[in-house]
Amino acid sequence: MYNTRVRGVLIKGNKSFADVSRDIIKPMDDKTPMWWWVTAFLATGALFWGVWGFYNTISTGIGEWGLNNNVAWGWAIINFVWWIGIGHAGTAFSIFLLILRQKWRTSINRAAEAMTIFAVMAAGLFPLIHMGRIWDGFFIFPYWNTRGPLWDNFNSPLFWDVVAISTYLMASFVFWYMGMIPDFATIRERTTSKMKKKIYGILSFGWIGNARGWLRFETAALLLGGMAAPLVVSVHSIVSMDFSVSVVPGWHTTIFPPYFVIGAIFSGFGMVLTLMIILRKLYKFKDYVTDGHLDAIARILTFISLIMGTAYLTELFMAWYSGNEYELFTFMKNRVTGEYTFAYWTMLTCNAFIPQLFWFKKIRKNITIVFIISIFINIGMWFERYVIVVTSLSKDFLPATWATYEPTITEIAIFVGTLGLFLLGVLMFFRFVPTVAISEVKSVLKETTTLKSFTDE
Amino acid sequence: MNNRNIIGIYDDQDVLLNALDELQENGVKIKDVYSPIPLHGVFERLHLKTRLPYATFIYGAIGVVSVFLFLYWTSVVSYPLKFGGKPLNTLSFIIIMFVLTIFVGTLFTFLTYFIREKMFPGKQVELPIPETTNDKFAVLIEKEVTMTEDDLKKVNSLLQKTGAVEIKETE
Repeated sequence: MYNTRVRGVLIKGNKSFADVSRDIIKPMDDKTPMWWWVTAFLATGALFWGVWGFYNTISTGIGEWGLNNNVAWGWAIINFVWWIGIGHAGTAFSIFLLILRQKWRTSINRAAEAMTIFAVMAAGLFPLIHMGRIWDGFFIFPYWNTRGPLWDNFNSPLFWDVVAISTYLMASFVFWYMGMIPDFATIRERTTSKMKKKIYGILSFGWIGNARGWLRFETAALLLGGMAAPLVVSVHSIVSMDFSVSVVPGWHTTIFPPYFVIGAIFSGFGMVLTLMIILRKLYKFKDYVTDGHLDAIARILTFISLIMGTAYLTELFMAWYSGNEYELFTFMKNRVTGEYTFAYWTMLTCNAFIPQLFWFKKIRKNITIVFIISIFINIGMWFERYVIVVTSLSKDFLPATWATYEPTITEIAIFVGTLGLFLLGVLMFFRFVPTVAISEVKSVLKETTTLKSFTDE
Repeated sequence: MNNRNIIGIYDDQDVLLNALDELQENGVKIKDVYSPIPLHGVFERLHLKTRLPYATFIYGAIGVVSVFLFLYWTSVVSYPLKFGGKPLNTLSFIIIMFVLTIFVGTLFTFLTYFIREKMFPGKQVELPIPETTNDKFAVLIEKEVTMTEDDLKKVNSLLQKTGAVEIKETE
């Protein structure tokens, strides 16, 4: 039984089912607001800059980037891992909180899943462009060819990555779309516009919501969710193996898979917090995404932040305890102190120290500060990937080959471009799709709102 | 199947579930229930079951076996190529097998759902009452040819008694 004493009332304002449909669909029926156009304009601009970066890279070559023989992975891989991490929010929300029977997820999971899809799409661009010859991208698929046939190396983490990420994108999309079908049907039956009736009629696949339909729907959603749950763990474990199966100091550790998975969920929840605060402000969804919801996310972040801190300490400890001088050098002379001190301490401060402020109720209740901290988490997680990728590569075993790395304008353009892509995707989502899962909110509505008087006894 | 139904419309999920009990106790056969949310009480009362999990299991089993066979065939039979002295048939195949099994399971479960529900993009549907996607719950009782006037009256009064906010009949 849902215990209101722990989490408070989930949906405020004593809503009826009709109120829920009306409130959530209202922003889609309203005239497109000014902020939407302005943000969409900026996002499109960013996207175009990114397209320029793409064009520059493809027409001239990878030499347009600041990479060199030693630091062969730069911003592209950093941003790839960063986006994939953010893309873990959706499934983490939908699946882990489903398994833990956390009913407060219903107001947020739709937005978190949408974010996942756009983030993974943005992430997928980086390995593609990193190949240089993007038109040969299909080489990665094991197809029948005239070179033997010569197959892929199925023991390469880079191949695992392709498999894992395309599976993750497909599974997240399928899960997301499945959940939206009843909501599309709600719009189809409510709307007075002929155009909308037609479009959402197509999107709703002819959903009628009878007993058997709901039973199969619930079963299918549970099955899809159950299968996506191990993906949350496996995708970032596989990404971490891109690093950890190499012998580069600072990468070659067994802590990497869990450390990356936790980091991914951390950055995913951070981004969810950022977006939900914006969403509830713009759409006046404070009754659905209550202060209690934000409080819950903040508490989770505090806990994950502690794990992050532990992971950082473990890395330092193992560098010393292993007795390996290269490991020790990378951590102590190239991260904690040395050339990359700023990046390392920014990472540590943003990920391990600042979120600890959430221990104080006063801070958790102040949404402006919560918002700022969530931004710090996003930045901190970017720096974590920067520290991992660049510091280890720039100074490895041979001092003669040491090199520094700085991004060029092309690399920055591509990153900004993916930010634009993500933002544009989120804006489309805000405008044309119900941002809160209507039928899921309805199914927790009575239990968590009307029954309050019973559970409060 | 004919389309002559008596439709009892309710506006609360618990009232609906009680009504289903009452109707069934009085021997009324319930054809279908339309609701805006999934209700486990309804599934139980109508004795509905789904075999979807078995289908998913079969897809997964086919997926894991066929992925392994493909990996084994490419790496051991078709073009055996040593990488760093590692065995051709390696344990690390598990990673691709694991992920692609989920791929196969997810995709085919999704497709099976739509095939079983006969749903596709652009399908035209007529709901008994459109409000069941918003805030109403509808109980459909088929008007069978064997039903007498008295039977119909009985159904009507039962619906009324159990708290239906509206009763409609379709011919």
